[in-house]
Amino acid sequence: MTITLSHYLFVSAILFASGLFTMMTKRNAIGILIGVELVLNSAGVNVVAFDRYLGPGRLDGQLTALFVIVLAAAEAALAVGICINVYKNLSTVDVDTAARLQG
Amino acid sequence: MNAWANIPIAEHLFLFSPMIALTATMLAVVATPLIAGRSTRAVAGVASIGIVVAFILAIRVARAVAQGGVSGFSPQPAAGMLLVDNLSAGFQVVLIVFLAAVTYLWWIGSAARERNAPEFFILLLGSALGMALMTSSANLLMIVIAIETASLPSYAIVGFDKRDRLGAEASLKYMIFGAVCAAIMLYGASLLYGLVGSLAVTDVAQYAVLQLADGDNLLLTSAALLCFLCGIAFKISAVPFHFWCPDAFEGAKIEVTTWLSVVSKAAGLILLTRIVLIFSSAVDSPLAISIVQPLAWTIAIMAAITCTYGNFAAYQQTSVKRLLAYSSIAHAGYMLMAAAVFIHPAATGHSAGLSAMLVYVVIYLFMNLGAFGVTALVSWDAGTDSIDAFTGLARRAPWLAVPMIICLMSLVGMPPLAGFLGKWWILIALGNLDTTLGWFLVITAVFNTLFSLYYYVRIVVQMSLRDDGRPQPSVSFGGLALVNICAVALLALFIFAQPLKSAADRFSTKLNPLSATLDHPRTALLPPADR
Repeated sequence: MTITLSHYLFVSAILFASGLFTMMTKRNAIGILIGVELVLNSAGVNVVAFDRYLGPGRLDGQLTALFVIVLAAAEAALAVGICINVYKNLSTVDVDTAARLQG
Repeated sequence: MNAWANIPIAEHLFLFSPMIALTATMLAVVATPLIAGRSTRAVAGVASIGIVVAFILAIRVARAVAQGGVSGFSPQPAAGMLLVDNLSAGFQVVLIVFLAAVTYLWWIGSAARERNAPEFFILLLGSALGMALMTSSANLLMIVIAIETASLPSYAIVGFDKRDRLGAEASLKYMIFGAVCAAIMLYGASLLYGLVGSLAVTDVAQYAVLQLADGDNLLLTSAALLCFLCGIAFKISAVPFHFWCPDAFEGAKIEVTTWLSVVSKAAGLILLTRIVLIFSSAVDSPLAISIVQPLAWTIAIMAAITCTYGNFAAYQQTSVKRLLAYSSIAHAGYMLMAAAVFIHPAATGHSAGLSAMLVYVVIYLFMNLGAFGVTALVSWDAGTDSIDAFTGLARRAPWLAVPMIICLMSLVGMPPLAGFLGKWWILIALGNLDTTLGWFLVITAVFNTLFSLYYYVRIVVQMSLRDDGRPQPSVSFGGLALVNICAVALLALFIFAQPLKSAADRFSTKLNPLSATLDHPRTALLPPADR
């Protein structure tokens, strides 16, 4: 069986859907961030696959994938830092209990 | 090799010199503690020098660009990731002025208690750099990176005080919401790349307009575009992407709130403006013009909802900081209305809506800086930003109360203050469309203005008509000077508004060099078998 673009897009669509589902259902901040990482990676799979199948000599997508990795790493580092800070202050990272700011 | 030969590197580096100066300042701020210890004074000094240098460079770049002495990056298709034109150069000047004002506010309010000044300035300058990049990007990847460069330091700076529970909670909410929006935006960008085969916004616009006219990929293109616009709507905090805004603004330190409430939104609006301009310059055939109507209506309805929601939610706030946060959502709505004008097909040129929006952004900067400045001074003195802290302020501290009244009335849009002119020109631009959309927005804006009068006047009443015998607040002279300068500027901008307006007109006509590169139509690169 030959692997076509559709196969890659299918994988990335599954990643995106599970990421979106995770983001919407999880109440734990770390859980939501895992969903974000899944969506970011689905975008990465997308651009690399498009690069490969749209024609030879393309670099835009591969560069984009590199930047996606860097963005994901930066975001994760910062997010975990913020989560630790929240945990120290509130003893939880549940986004529903962190609800003192309202109105 | 040959491609590089005709790119004048030095000239292009000059165009980006304000951003380079901001980056260098960040590095210098990192290096300062190694030499001078963690002295707040030394760090603030280094940062101030950097900001002044960046300001001078930004003025020079803006002047050079306005005179047409230098070109943008647009002629080279390969280098079309960043561009400098009147819009971005002008915004950079405004941004750096505001950066200086926020630094000054921090200096008089928080510097004495601040132990982590180097980190504060790295984050502040980093988000400024990101906002400058946002206004200069013309490429999907570049836009994503710029938004993240602006956002990541903002998340951290909102929760800057580690012992502050509200700040921690605010930064968590801001970060979660921002990360989700950024991820969805990036997914949209990846789909657009696959559909269009290029990351340049010009190509995307051309492709999208073709698809909207009669394309097989209409649904996918619209979905990808909508995903991409999530990230920008998040920056503007347009409804329904506004949930982070009041929480982040209330939990953050007040100088950070001031920073985020104005320039972060303005940068998002300028980015949206650029995308909208590129889209509308891709629409030239009469067939495609009928397609832009839904796009204009989308922005118009979003603007109307944003503005109405902001005003209604501000109604019952007791924290002045939070009230001003909702008011900033409402004002983002007014500015979005202007964006709906210049994408509308009935608009004769882009200039009316765009110049109204630019004027509004400049005036809004002074109004919000003044209002937040007074709130900062009062809350530093009273230890709370609740509306009770403002009781009897007109008697206790007229030099605080008068500028606050001027700024609030300007936010309502009362003559003879600059806020009135800002709204007036947006309404004129809307009315000149003479379409259902225009009049719908005019009515919405007028009703919202009347409605917003109530909660702004509530603060004025609290300051002037009520009194509970509180002692006089002790406020630094510098703080008084800052807010009074803002108030005087609002009066002066009303009287001498013509130079501002004509500058904005000039900016909005000599814009968008990218439209020149739109003469190579692209077709869908996604092969039919893989659709």
